[in-house]
Amino acid sequence: MTPKNNIVIGIIIALVFVASYNVDANPIEFVEGLPNLAIVVEEMFSVEPKYIPTALWAMFETIQMAFIGTVVGTAIALPLSMLAARNLNSKYVYAPVRALLAAIRTFPSILWAILFVIMVGLGTFAGVLAIVMYTVGFVAKLQYEAIETIDSDPMDAVSSIGVSKWQLVRYVVIPESASHLLSQILYMFDYNVRQTSILGLVGAGGIGFYIINYIKFFEYGKAAVFMLVVLVTVLFIDWVSVKIRDKYIIKSQHGMEVTTK
Amino acid sequence: MKLIQMTKTSSFSLISTNKIIQINNVWTSYDSKNFALEGINLSIDRGTNYAIVGQSGSGKSTLLKLMNGMMIPSQGTIKIDYVTPNMNNKKFKHMMHTIGYIPQSLGLVKNITVIENIMIGALPRLNKIESMFKRFPEHEINEAKRIISLVGLTGKEERKAYMLSGGEKRRVAIARALMQKPTILLADEIVSELDHVTAREIMNLIAEAQKRMNLTAIMVHHDMQLALEYANRVAVIKEGQKILEIGVEGDKIVDFQTGDLNTEEIMEMYDDSKK
Ligand SMILES: Nc1ncnc2c1ncn2[C@@H]1O[C@H](COP(=O)(O)OP(=O)(O)O)[C@@H](O)[C@H]1O
Ligand SMILES: [Mg+2]
Repeated sequence: MTPKNNIVIGIIIALVFVASYNVDANPIEFVEGLPNLAIVVEEMFSVEPKYIPTALWAMFETIQMAFIGTVVGTAIALPLSMLAARNLNSKYVYAPVRALLAAIRTFPSILWAILFVIMVGLGTFAGVLAIVMYTVGFVAKLQYEAIETIDSDPMDAVSSIGVSKWQLVRYVVIPESASHLLSQILYMFDYNVRQTSILGLVGAGGIGFYIINYIKFFEYGKAAVFMLVVLVTVLFIDWVSVKIRDKYIIKSQHGMEVTTK
Repeated sequence: MKLIQMTKTSSFSLISTNKIIQINNVWTSYDSKNFALEGINLSIDRGTNYAIVGQSGSGKSTLLKLMNGMMIPSQGTIKIDYVTPNMNNKKFKHMMHTIGYIPQSLGLVKNITVIENIMIGALPRLNKIESMFKRFPEHEINEAKRIISLVGLTGKEERKAYMLSGGEKRRVAIARALMQKPTILLADEIVSELDHVTAREIMNLIAEAQKRMNLTAIMVHHDMQLALEYANRVAVIKEGQKILEIGVEGDKIVDFQTGDLNTEEIMEMYDDSKK
């Protein structure tokens, strides 16, 4: 290691200390706070079992919100991704669409949720709209990148027949990028369930709404039970999507690999 | 094995009546420094089975891409039925519907079925909306089935293209081109990687369709032997220039044009290609 590297590392460590001081991040407080965790766990066990169905129902509502948001968001993202792909459009089409998508992506979903709470009022609908926006921004980007990596070979051969742009999309672009899309939808749903879980913090429905209210009234045990439900659900969805990915996507990609010369 | 008998030599002026393709002093480059084609002249009669032979990198694929409008020359003119090939030219765009182009890598869509791949050839004449739902008119389905049996793919209609063998993939690519009801077929080394027997099966298939439909077929080959067996005319390209063009009738070479080659060199080239 050169002295120059040592200096850089030293500066980074110093910056962490300065920043921690500025934002009041004190590790001693963390250690002192640990016993509080034990109190929360204790409170969890004293939560009445009748709250469990409520928690599960809230989680189910959250999953449904994420599901609608993912499906509708993907449906909107697909045509946009076709317009944003450089190998399908002229600059005058893809440049503005890309700019729009980039603008959509700059907002985290919680900010979209605040915006929609203001627009349509408190509740799950605002949350769904926020997830839709977030999904549009990301799925469209992932998908136009997938489209741009499609083998140019069938694209050129089919274009040279003189088919229309949408025929090209239907017969080459969609089939050749479908396995990417499936993988992205799974990933997005997984991610949206997590996001939807916290949208309740700004009043946009879902399980987060319960959590934030319990915290407000210092009912940490109940909040912790609801958080545990989120954790277990997310782990479960993660596990399921890994299974689906293995079964369908890896297989179809393998099929494609076999064919490339 | 074919015998080369020169019955006529150095006839530069072929009186032409029905020229479907005319290429005049064409130069092309991919970058500003090197030319892939350097002053190519070609003139192809309607209904000819034309072969272009040359080593790898000589410019054969480039020449085909010029003919289907995927590339435009930096210099010189190309006319297909008196129209300049260019994807932005409205008149040529319409002609593209009936120019079958099979690239070296075939250009099949891997994740759709054989029959869907073949139907792509008919897309320009199908209803735009219905084709989005993969709904095809009865007579087009029958036409596709007829072509499928012609190329020997009956029973494999519903297979995904990536599951096919090399020979079967070529049959699909040919069927897609035939589905276009083509007047011109451009095929880029589509039998080069096949074994002797399969290569001839595929070539026979094309020769058959070519005769029956009065197609003008322009096929790029690596192998001179194959070109002489099937083509009426053979052009040899070397480093972006046409160095030789011969006419073949049955077992005879009926005429040939060269820049500055002598008979010995032609024979040598023919021998080389047999290796
Ligand atoms: N996409 C490309 N970009 C740059 N150079 C290319 C490209 N395609 C072909 N070339 C060059 O042009 C020349 C002719 O290529 P090509 O027409 O593919 O030859 P052939 O088909 O006879 O093997 C070669 O020197 C090749 O390197
Ligand atoms: Mg080539």
